[in-house]
Amino acid sequence: MSDPVVVCEALTHVYLRGTPFESVALQGVDLVLRRGECVGIVGPTGSGKSTLVQHFNGLLRPTEGRVWVDGVELRAGRGILREVRRKVGLVFQYPEHQLFEATVFDDVAFGPRNLGLEPEEIQERVRESLQWVGLDPDRFGPRSPFSLSGGEMRRVAIAGVLAMRPQVLVLDEPTAGLDPEGRREILGRIRDLHQRMGLTVVLISHSMDEVARMCQRVVVLHQGRVFLDAPVREAFGQAERLRSIGLDVPHVTDVLLRLRAAGLPVRCDRITVQEACEEIVRVLQGGRKWSSSGV
Amino acid sequence: MELLRSLTLGQYVPRASPVHRLDPRTKILAATALMVVVFLVRDFRGLGVFAAFLAAAVALSQVPAGFVLRGLRPIWILLLLTLVLQIFFGASGGGTPLWRLGPFVATREGLVQGLFVTARLVLLVVCTSLLTFTTSPVELADGMERLLRPFRRVGVPAHELAMMMTIALRFIPTLVEETEKIMKAQMARGADLDTGGLLRRARALVPVLVPLFVSAFRRAEELAVAMEARGYRGGEGRTRMKQLRYRAQDLWAALAVAGISVLVLWPGRW
Repeated sequence: MSDPVVVCEALTHVYLRGTPFESVALQGVDLVLRRGECVGIVGPTGSGKSTLVQHFNGLLRPTEGRVWVDGVELRAGRGILREVRRKVGLVFQYPEHQLFEATVFDDVAFGPRNLGLEPEEIQERVRESLQWVGLDPDRFGPRSPFSLSGGEMRRVAIAGVLAMRPQVLVLDEPTAGLDPEGRREILGRIRDLHQRMGLTVVLISHSMDEVARMCQRVVVLHQGRVFLDAPVREAFGQAERLRSIGLDVPHVTDVLLRLRAAGLPVRCDRITVQEACEEIVRVLQGGRKWSSSGV
Repeated sequence: MELLRSLTLGQYVPRASPVHRLDPRTKILAATALMVVVFLVRDFRGLGVFAAFLAAAVALSQVPAGFVLRGLRPIWILLLLTLVLQIFFGASGGGTPLWRLGPFVATREGLVQGLFVTARLVLLVVCTSLLTFTTSPVELADGMERLLRPFRRVGVPAHELAMMMTIALRFIPTLVEETEKIMKAQMARGADLDTGGLLRRARALVPVLVPLFVSAFRRAEELAVAMEARGYRGGEGRTRMKQLRYRAQDLWAALAVAGISVLVLWPGRW
């Protein structure tokens, strides 16, 4: 197993403590993210997902408990926070709403400029980041971000975070509000970053299919606590538990569960279409041996 | 960050008190009348009676007294400045000197004058905050609209003004939330929003303000479409779910305010 990058220990976060509006968002969360992992965070609305990831780069401070990033404990102190925000890139929901510069180039360059880099270095990073998200720097660089399509704007915003060259990339519902094409494009790019660049990826999503396709491990939050933390197969094998808190399993798993309920003895811990097909074929062929009728 | 969240504007304190139940028009008119009265009062005795009346109203409203006094916090510098200036310059053309500070002479008359003006300001602020503490923004806007209605003849767009006010108040929390989100997003990209000199900080706000304006315009457009989709076309012929109606309690409140005004202002009373 690779070494841990982000560690949360007994992390509790209370909003507006000591006022009538006090609310507990996280309660005693223990979590370890390992280098090179792709982890999905799922949970019903208000389960604390966004609050949790904002601790990964020090945007929120724990009310109780501790957080380490790359071996350094997050505490007050400008130097530490600066360093941590460089290491952990956080892409918020609807990140295109944060674009503000006159050109795509300048917007992506915002992060590197804040790091105080040389112009050549900035230039290089911007080009690289735009290429990573599949936008031609020469064509898109000089354009206004506000003239782009929704999917393109979102990719520019993600490039803006990538230009910080983070080790960990956290994306809060990166595909919300995109059409299927835009969704596929973004997910494809994220997978590339994870597989080719070795980035540690944390993906918050409401789509179990997305998580099943992208991640190796899934963390389920419920009412501010870790409800389940397991490899995807194992997690989605517990359909009843997930459904009990208003979540669901990937469509593929759902199909298998129904087949099983209908009497076909398939195993339900298959999460991709490919695997499911093989499983069904296996069971059907196996069945041919003891039933005389063809299927 | 969380400061933004705890910011409450309008400061309505929901309670089920007799003051809360008054018609907003009554409260607006009463507050206005009392503000005029407090400026017409000439002596401490009048102020004292007035203060007693306000204190009774606060008690009746069930708004914690500490809350009301906290409303004075933003203006304490103003109060102090008023007091000091009055002590030194309040009595124009001489008075009984109390003590000296360089070329400036503090006078007894100045001190008295200073206390009087400061007390007047405090009462003024308490009076207006009592109005906002006990009247929800929506009621306030409703009341204003009804009060301005007669002036429509001379071109005052009463309904539009009230609608603008309601919408503005409604969107304050939304914009605060939005600001917080954008600030965090830019901080995640290494933006440094709270160090450096004034100019640096002002420049650091650009990445927050531009997206904020963009989103405010987008929201405005969406809201306009949503309103039109439901057939909104301004105040003409529009009916309300909650009709404002004067009741007996409003009469009593009005009588009390009138009574106290007379009592405070009547020359050579008692």
